[in-house]
Amino acid sequence: MSKYSVIGQRVRRVDGPEKVTGNAKYTFDIVLPNMLYGKILRSPHPHARILNIDTSKAEKLIGVKGVVTGKDTLGKKQGIWRRFPELCDEEILCREKVRYVGDPVAVVAAVDEDTAEEALDLIDVEYEPLPAVFDPLEAIKEDAPQIHDGVELNINVTRHIEWGDVDEAFKKCDRIREDQFKCSSQAHMCMETHDAVASFDYSGKLTVWTSTQASYYIQALLAGMLGLREGDVRVIKPPTGGGFGSKFELDSAQFCASVLSMKICKPVKIVLSREEEFTATKRRTPMYYYLKLGAKKDGTLLAKEVRVITDGGAYTGMGATALYLTGFFSSFPYKYPNYRYDGYRAYTNTAPTSAMRGFGAPQSTFAGESQLDMMAEELGIDPVEIRRKNGMTPDYVVPGQAFIQSCGLHECLDKIEEHIKQRRKLPPNHGIGIAAYGFMSGGIFNWFDTPYAFSAALVRINIDGKVDLFTGACDIGQGSDTTLSMICAEELGVKLEDIRIHAGDTGICPADLGAWGSRETLMNGNAVKRAAADAKNQLLEFAAAKLGANIVYDMDIKDRWIHLVDRPERGVSYFDIVKEAIRGKDGEVIIGRGHYTPHRKGMISPAYSFGVQAAEVGVDTETGKVKLVNVTTAHESGTVINPVGIEGQLEGAIMMAGGYGFCEDQPMDEGKILNPSIADYKLIRSLDMPETKILEIDTYEPEGPFGAKEAGEGLTNPTAGAIANAVYKAVGVRINNLPITPEKVLRALKEKPKQKK
Amino acid sequence: MKKELKLTVNGQPYELYVKPKTLLVQVLRDHIGLTGTKRGCSDSSCGACTIMLNGMAVKSCSILALQANGAEVHTVEGLAKGTELHPLQKAFLDYGAYQCGFCTSGMLMASRALLEENPKPTKEQIKEGIDGNICRCTGYNSIIRAVTAVVKGEYKEEK
Amino acid sequence: MIKDFEYLAPKTLKEALTLLDKYKDDCKVICGGQSLLILMRQGLVAPQYLIDIKGLSELSYIKDGKDGLKIGATTTHRAIEKSPVIQKKFSVLAEMERRLASIQTRNWGTIGGNICHADPAGDPAPVLIALNATLSLASLKGERSMPVEDFCLDYFETALEHGELLTEIRVPPIPPHTGTAYTKFNVIESDLATVGVAVSVTLGAGDGVCQDIRIALGAAAPTPRRAKKAEAVLKGKKITDALLKEVGEVASTEAEPISDIYASEEYRRELVRVLVARVGKEALARAKQA
Repeated sequence: MSKYSVIGQRVRRVDGPEKVTGNAKYTFDIVLPNMLYGKILRSPHPHARILNIDTSKAEKLIGVKGVVTGKDTLGKKQGIWRRFPELCDEEILCREKVRYVGDPVAVVAAVDEDTAEEALDLIDVEYEPLPAVFDPLEAIKEDAPQIHDGVELNINVTRHIEWGDVDEAFKKCDRIREDQFKCSSQAHMCMETHDAVASFDYSGKLTVWTSTQASYYIQALLAGMLGLREGDVRVIKPPTGGGFGSKFELDSAQFCASVLSMKICKPVKIVLSREEEFTATKRRTPMYYYLKLGAKKDGTLLAKEVRVITDGGAYTGMGATALYLTGFFSSFPYKYPNYRYDGYRAYTNTAPTSAMRGFGAPQSTFAGESQLDMMAEELGIDPVEIRRKNGMTPDYVVPGQAFIQSCGLHECLDKIEEHIKQRRKLPPNHGIGIAAYGFMSGGIFNWFDTPYAFSAALVRINIDGKVDLFTGACDIGQGSDTTLSMICAEELGVKLEDIRIHAGDTGICPADLGAWGSRETLMNGNAVKRAAADAKNQLLEFAAAKLGANIVYDMDIKDRWIHLVDRPERGVSYFDIVKEAIRGKDGEVIIGRGHYTPHRKGMISPAYSFGVQAAEVGVDTETGKVKLVNVTTAHESGTVINPVGIEGQLEGAIMMAGGYGFCEDQPMDEGKILNPSIADYKLIRSLDMPETKILEIDTYEPEGPFGAKEAGEGLTNPTAGAIANAVYKAVGVRINNLPITPEKVLRALKEKPKQKK
Repeated sequence: MKKELKLTVNGQPYELYVKPKTLLVQVLRDHIGLTGTKRGCSDSSCGACTIMLNGMAVKSCSILALQANGAEVHTVEGLAKGTELHPLQKAFLDYGAYQCGFCTSGMLMASRALLEENPKPTKEQIKEGIDGNICRCTGYNSIIRAVTAVVKGEYKEEK
Repeated sequence: MIKDFEYLAPKTLKEALTLLDKYKDDCKVICGGQSLLILMRQGLVAPQYLIDIKGLSELSYIKDGKDGLKIGATTTHRAIEKSPVIQKKFSVLAEMERRLASIQTRNWGTIGGNICHADPAGDPAPVLIALNATLSLASLKGERSMPVEDFCLDYFETALEHGELLTEIRVPPIPPHTGTAYTKFNVIESDLATVGVAVSVTLGAGDGVCQDIRIALGAAAPTPRRAKKAEAVLKGKKITDALLKEVGEVASTEAEPISDIYASEEYRRELVRVLVARVGKEALARAKQA
């Protein structure tokens, strides 16, 4: 029998009934009285000076109610790395210069979308095109066009991570490998595009409904950009159709709708088209990877040197974090005695690159795990064995960087090894490749410079025992509403149906940094657990008085039964105590408060999850087509709060990360994305989805609520690497640049020297 | 010049006047106010707008409203009978066959159309049935499990 | 954004032809609209008059008789896919339809609309060419017939003249000892073809010699086209694996593929080479069973 009543159960998600009946109202569905529709005019040039914008004809079009350009804004620049003003480089509505094809220059509000679109054609913008640069390796050259003032060689962020002495260590190695990899871009492809309904009223308050991962960030950034007090900006997150890292920065829909609404004092709705979604929202950071790995002949890894240059696109966004994390996770999940990472982020005149599920780790895992397999082959060591030999273990310290508490990597390796043995006899041209990973449960480094606790929650118990849970955490589909409700119910000792969650509304919920870096379960979960415990303690005070038990006895609540822990039959109903407590407090409702900020956990993350994935592929050697047959993942994420949720996250991660591995890409020509439509952007559909299997390893993370830590993001790390290794195992060719397309595989097969059996 | 459009949606008759260029999805969402059907693309690729027209699963963004004149349309809002959910809806809830939920209406209608045409589809046929619908969250397998559960009779409708 | 247009829904073929004749360049025909509406939404096609023939049930039929198979132009892909007579006697058509886009598209889109859209990557045209199909084009002036392989003139351009409407697709009866197969290469299962190949092989009775062969390529040229030089390699000979390999190589030289974001010209030629041999082998196996 489970020791928990709620967590670990297979439950229906709390937002379920609304979603399966079509009742859930997304921002996409919101219609307000007198609402207008906005459309954004975007630059057709990758790099140009704006000489003049004439909006007079557009303003005269019947049905147009407002037109705004950069000149109508306060002219501020913003960025999510608020701590570093030089990285706050994006005006959103450009005033003097545009830096990528799609950079906004004007926005129109009209009575309907068609009129707004028609009005865009009537806006005359005079540009002076400037020389542009599209590849980071070109952008860092002396003679490259400068994209942002004061940023030499277009390198806007550098990062360095080091411990030990890599150069000395290489001298002691028996084998050294140097390899290069190229990691592509990827589109988030949320089913709901970026959208916002902004309503500025005559009392000077702005309300914005928007599809977002972090209503608090949007509130703070909007306030800053609009010259409003944070308290006069309310951001409400309705059910949100996906985020995956694209929706926690201030975007053009939110900003432009707000600016327009402030000008005309009417609600304005902007919904980005799918084409805008592909071309003018942020995307996964493409990276050039250079790796040098040194090992002893018994497989012990002695040193790793990593150099990365990332394609930053036109603005910084979260790209600075991706740059750091890719370097940090390049050291995962192994114990390197000596390590050095140098990362450079270069601006280019392309759509800005930023955060996407995995945050630099899918890239580092693809490169690192590919190289590790190559090293293993050179040394004649089994791929599982070399990982076992060097894999992280519980309580490992990443020198000067992080402290790993729980770690189930070795158990995951064991399970995968067993799985591979079971699939012993594979058909010809089939192969199984593995990749191991470790990932963070939220980030610590406070680049947003928030004064608030990273997560906070409020619990309010009503007279009938129903509990209102207020949290800033944002459910974007990953299920945080359900997971947090489960944590609350478990801690408070009630049933899941007793909890009603209110989330993501800055007007009524305490601030939370949002759903990114896989932080909600651990960080907000801790806040919720503390809030529930606070409320519970207030009830226990009254229960203790009522039961009058010996002072040595502890009390707790389970299944709505307040009882002595050691004598559970002695107790009283939760419902009765709630009534008595409220009476006892002179009619005041019971409020529990909780917050969480990781302290003394280093600067990266309070906890890490680990896993090993095995991908089985079949390769058609005449066409190069790679078929994903089976993806089996052994992973550990501490105590599993919401098992249905984790399974969903895993299978969804395989779809996304598998796509990154073999079919998703954003080819460009002169800064223009060539496939800005779903028909042209290839992604995995149901017929393409492989069989999936999850092997859950039991671990317990002391830092997490009930021992839980992240699951949803780490699971996107290994798939590209596992596919690359599988293709090699199947047909003996190495593809070092993503995606692994049939054409690349076929070319490699043809170039492979014929091998004697 | 607007033209008359008569159709039934979820058993309810409607009489409207629409511009010829109006798409069926616009009539459902904007004119009638049934926002359960979503739109996720501009090139008929995502399937989020899937509804049933005269018993067939179709993409409502790719049909002129006037072509549905006289037709019987069913949307996700018509699945439940009052508060009693359709077996597919119950299965989706139990099997976690949705996450962000934006593709869910389309998935449900595609699945319903599939089962009404063929009550005992194979796993491959179920995959084909929803292949026109993109989901970015679930990886499809939970949806397939949910539909399979209905096929196996786990949610026999009470008469 | 779709531009406004006048909407006309003729109730008979005659009415439709009259409207086409009247409005000429100012009008466009819509049936399932699964391709046309995308173009209209992008503003690439903006007719003043839209003539909706979806309601012309007189053009929606599947008839099999002594003269072969006759499919009305407004027949949906799904009807063809599910037709018992097609599944039994012209199975390659049902197989091809099964992999065309999605069920939703097939439920509303029509074979006539697909052929008139003239996307060289379309699935039906190569299969119909391999089956030696002809098209019936009607206008107020009368009716004329044209082989499918002559119908497409260039990318998205057909031989339809002003006032003409595609009304029927005719597939002649399949000769004995004939096998036809089709495959398309793509990375995503239901996607448009990167390259598509259809092959029809007719063997002599008992001797296994190739009496007739038709090889049709899709997405390998501005229009779907036959690889006639490749056909000549096999005609009159007994088909062997080595010969099929040669056929593939010749076919790849007859292709005129483009390089785009999905594949280079070189790779497409390679796909033609490989797929013609493979599909030829499958067609041969079917011919032997027939």
